[in-house]
Amino acid sequence: MRVTSSPARQPANRTRRPAHGAATAALRAEWVKFRTVRGWLIGLVLAGLLCVGFTFVVANGHHQGICTGAGNCTAGHPFVPNGPGGEAVADSYQYYTQPLIGDGTLTARIGSLTGVIYTGPANQAPSTAHTRAGLAGWAKVGILLTPSTRQGSAYAAICATGSHGIQFQHNYTRDQPGRSGTQTSSSPRWLRLTRTAETITGYDSDNGTTWRQIGTTRLAGLPATVDIGLFATSPVTYQDGATGAATQATATFNDLTFTGRTASGWTARSIGMSPRDYYPTLGAGSTHRSGANVTITGSGDIAPAVATLAGGSTASESLLFGIVVALVVVIVIATGFITGEYRRGLIRTTLAATPQRGVVLAAKALVIAAVAFTVGVVATALAIPLGHHALTTNGNYIFPTSTTTQVRVTVGAGLVLALTAVGALALGAILRRAAGAVTAGIIVYVLPNLLGPGVLGPGAPAATWLYRASPAAAFSVFGALPRSALVSYPFTLANGYYPIGSWAGLAVLAAYTAAALALATYLLHRRDA
Amino acid sequence: MNDASIEVSGLRKRFGPTQALDGMTFSVAAGTVTGFVGPNGAGKSTTIRVLLGLDYQDEGHALVCGQRYAALKYPLRRVGALVEAAALQPSRTGRNHLLWLARSQRLPTDRVKEVIDLVGLDSAARRRAGGYSLGMRQRLGIAAAMLGDPEVLILDEPFNGMDPEGIIWIRGFLRSLAARGRAVLVSSHLMGELQGIADQVVVVGRGRVLADATVDELVARAGSDRVLLRSPTPSEAAAVLQRAGARATVTDRGTVIVGGITAQRVVEVLSPAGVAFSEVTAQRASLEDVYLQLTGGATQYRAGTQVQP
Amino acid sequence: MSTQTGPPRPHTVLRDELRPAWSAAVRAEWTKLRTLPSTTWLLAGTVAVTVGTTAIIAAATHTSTGPDAARQDPTKLALTGIDLGQAIIAVLAVLTVCEEYGAGMIRITLTAMPRRTVVLAAKAVNLTGLTLIAGLVAVAGCLMTGRLMLPGAGLGTADGYPLVSLAHTATLRAAAGSVLYLILIALLVLGIATAIRDTAVSVGVVLALLYLPPLLAQAVSDPLRRHLEQIAPMTAGLAVQVTTSSPAQVIAPWAGLGILAMWAAGSLTTAGVLLRIRDA
Repeated sequence: MRVTSSPARQPANRTRRPAHGAATAALRAEWVKFRTVRGWLIGLVLAGLLCVGFTFVVANGHHQGICTGAGNCTAGHPFVPNGPGGEAVADSYQYYTQPLIGDGTLTARIGSLTGVIYTGPANQAPSTAHTRAGLAGWAKVGILLTPSTRQGSAYAAICATGSHGIQFQHNYTRDQPGRSGTQTSSSPRWLRLTRTAETITGYDSDNGTTWRQIGTTRLAGLPATVDIGLFATSPVTYQDGATGAATQATATFNDLTFTGRTASGWTARSIGMSPRDYYPTLGAGSTHRSGANVTITGSGDIAPAVATLAGGSTASESLLFGIVVALVVVIVIATGFITGEYRRGLIRTTLAATPQRGVVLAAKALVIAAVAFTVGVVATALAIPLGHHALTTNGNYIFPTSTTTQVRVTVGAGLVLALTAVGALALGAILRRAAGAVTAGIIVYVLPNLLGPGVLGPGAPAATWLYRASPAAAFSVFGALPRSALVSYPFTLANGYYPIGSWAGLAVLAAYTAAALALATYLLHRRDA
Repeated sequence: MNDASIEVSGLRKRFGPTQALDGMTFSVAAGTVTGFVGPNGAGKSTTIRVLLGLDYQDEGHALVCGQRYAALKYPLRRVGALVEAAALQPSRTGRNHLLWLARSQRLPTDRVKEVIDLVGLDSAARRRAGGYSLGMRQRLGIAAAMLGDPEVLILDEPFNGMDPEGIIWIRGFLRSLAARGRAVLVSSHLMGELQGIADQVVVVGRGRVLADATVDELVARAGSDRVLLRSPTPSEAAAVLQRAGARATVTDRGTVIVGGITAQRVVEVLSPAGVAFSEVTAQRASLEDVYLQLTGGATQYRAGTQVQP
Repeated sequence: MSTQTGPPRPHTVLRDELRPAWSAAVRAEWTKLRTLPSTTWLLAGTVAVTVGTTAIIAAATHTSTGPDAARQDPTKLALTGIDLGQAIIAVLAVLTVCEEYGAGMIRITLTAMPRRTVVLAAKAVNLTGLTLIAGLVAVAGCLMTGRLMLPGAGLGTADGYPLVSLAHTATLRAAAGSVLYLILIALLVLGIATAIRDTAVSVGVVLALLYLPPLLAQAVSDPLRRHLEQIAPMTAGLAVQVTTSSPAQVIAPWAGLGILAMWAAGSLTTAGVLLRIRDA
């Protein structure tokens, strides 16, 4: 036999960088171990398919319809306008307006602000027949300027509110607070809105002579002629419990002062207050003028739309069950990745090949995390459009979601699966037996999701705590329903809102996994293999 | 051959693309030890699993004591089997493993103690089986096979993991069983383990029987014996022997390998010719040689040519 | 060489031939289960988890007694622990068969007892017996816990609720039904595990089958939700615990348990067929 010697085969070359090389080699070895077990690969594909399939099943099980008369329903949903930023909004109010050409100012004194709250049965259309006196916190009356009364148009407004003082608001999501406190006859409020080119500025005053600027904004592309006028609106209130009640606000304005050029006189309009509009309103709007005094009654809201009121959902809600199913499959695979080594003593061969036990566990964790992440991302990327399609076909309203949110949900699904897989792997290393590890994995990582809505009920305080402190907290990353501080709405678990922020929720899951991994590393070093 | 204790006839079985059994046919008579040899993957374990009703054949039949194994009511009283010696639930003790087997055959609990003593496992019987060495597991497996004092014994690779003392013990044990009229089938992938204990040897490869004969017949079949000759003048000696009609080859170590004539005849030819020689040795073919010759074409897994750097 | 006592005496053999093979199989499988330390731990765990869960739920329950407060079902509340305790019984059932496959010992078992359906039946008989004992203890513990703790949670006689007692026919039915429920779950799981043969996959599939359909039912609307709750093993089977009429109840108590029994029968039948036709 001829002995050949080429430089490439020299031992020195093969053992270069021993420390770094060992970890890389262990990683590659674990990857080969993983991909060569056909059952695991099939399982992963199955996890992805189940996730996509169940997303479709859940989405397809949701129907929304518009009913006219007795049982005559068609699939569909009421129109929900989108604001200038693309977000879903409520845009319902009583408006007393006249055109403004070019620059100008409207000033008014608010004499009184009162309201009523609907007290009749929740399953009937709200009517003024059953009401009690009461003012919603976000009831708004004041001066509003908009290029168009089409719902969802840009606007800027200075207004007095039920309990949030004076506010300068624009384009549904922005506000700047002014004087606090409610106005009374002894402590009246003056409001002023000024247009200068595209810039709108709001002022308030408590004597009508000294003015304070509250806020200013530039409404890009504002046409020469805009509408300016007085408005009143009053949103659904949750003062009396979880079920909302429609409200109505009435304001009396005195000393109406208009400076600027106008084309025609004042007109009264009700915007978005018909029964066809999605936002629940109480009674018909009305406007009465006598001299310099104007009384306006209105109901509705000018604010971002929220879940139950808009009757909307998101495709990522349909994803949740599919993710839970995928979690079970991933837990089985991840625990098997390590308990399989203990069953037939393969772990001894593994540790003979890589004596640094921490490196072995880290390599396994990286491999299982990478594959679980990939499955989560790919499955979600497929499931969300499919779920969206099924929901839309069934007539459901779906909140518009930003690209950022879509990326967060998709990457979040990958992270939830990856962190759970690593945690299950760690449980496998701790318990070393398949039955115990899978059971523990399912109890720790899956059961909180079942207990939350299922056993305890979504309204229970314990369920809220599960979604704050258990691994289920990570599901907040799938929360895509719009929230707003400008709406007084119970953003609770029962209404589909998670009690913890997305990334904080993932951090809770990561903490569980880190603790399991730390214990696994400790035990792996301490125990005989 | 209805009196045969084990009768395997025309077994065929396919696992996906692999033809595991391809017309396997042989029988084992009472009072004999039959070696069942072949390279890894030749079909030994599959045959034994079919014999024990664990795997199902596609064709052919396999009978023990003249019946299908599954038809035996308390099978371990008729047939003792050692399969999967390593397959024990680790947290159960060896004694309790034998106890549940005894219960399944309605054998008295005393019998457990007897077989534990029989295989010399009494010191370890009450320990978790998970801590047993491979040799101890084999002894426990043999104890399980002996539980019902069966007339037929089927042992799959009983020598695996045994220490030399254990191997000697099994060999003596198997001979004594045959002497008391039991039929014993012992599989092994090493022919050497069976030399001296097997009356009959069934050599298998690629799922079929390559040879089924007594040890003597097999050795004879390996061809005539060879004679090793040492001589100061090997070429001259070879020439003389060839003239006398023998095959003679000079090796590079200066010896001559002679074939076709006996050692006695070699001396008779060389002495009158005046060729000096220092040694004449008759070389009998070993069972191992026969085995390698038989299975040469039937080996499934062969080590690659070693390349030395 | 030690001396041998030889085969059993002829009269013993004759007597044994007349006895059915399955009773020996039951004894053998009983010996197997009894000699595994995990069996005792899992049975004790079932009782502890079941009663413990009930105690935690009872301690966390604070019922308002206003006129519009929904009527609670104290018996069902007391038996909530079964929801979690069944997971431990399921693990026991999985281990009964899958650990044999994991170790390869199933070949020894089937060599000793070649009638495979008899082996499966023997395992089922033993599992039924053990689950019956654990179930009786666990259910008794749950009812006792409920009787002692629920009055403190606003579900006492002062609040218009009767004390949890077996003297009520409905409570007796719920208690007996819960024990039967656990047994049927054990049998259902035994069948699934025999068909799957791998411990980890079996546990995953079984826990998914038990716990996920209720979650799916929450996520979809009627009529799919209703149908799911009517046919899923857990929601249908646990209908037997209901003692007060409620609009949320989708299936009658015994009918629900019957659905679960059909699941168990189907699973064991499938397992028996697979066990017979597959190579061991």
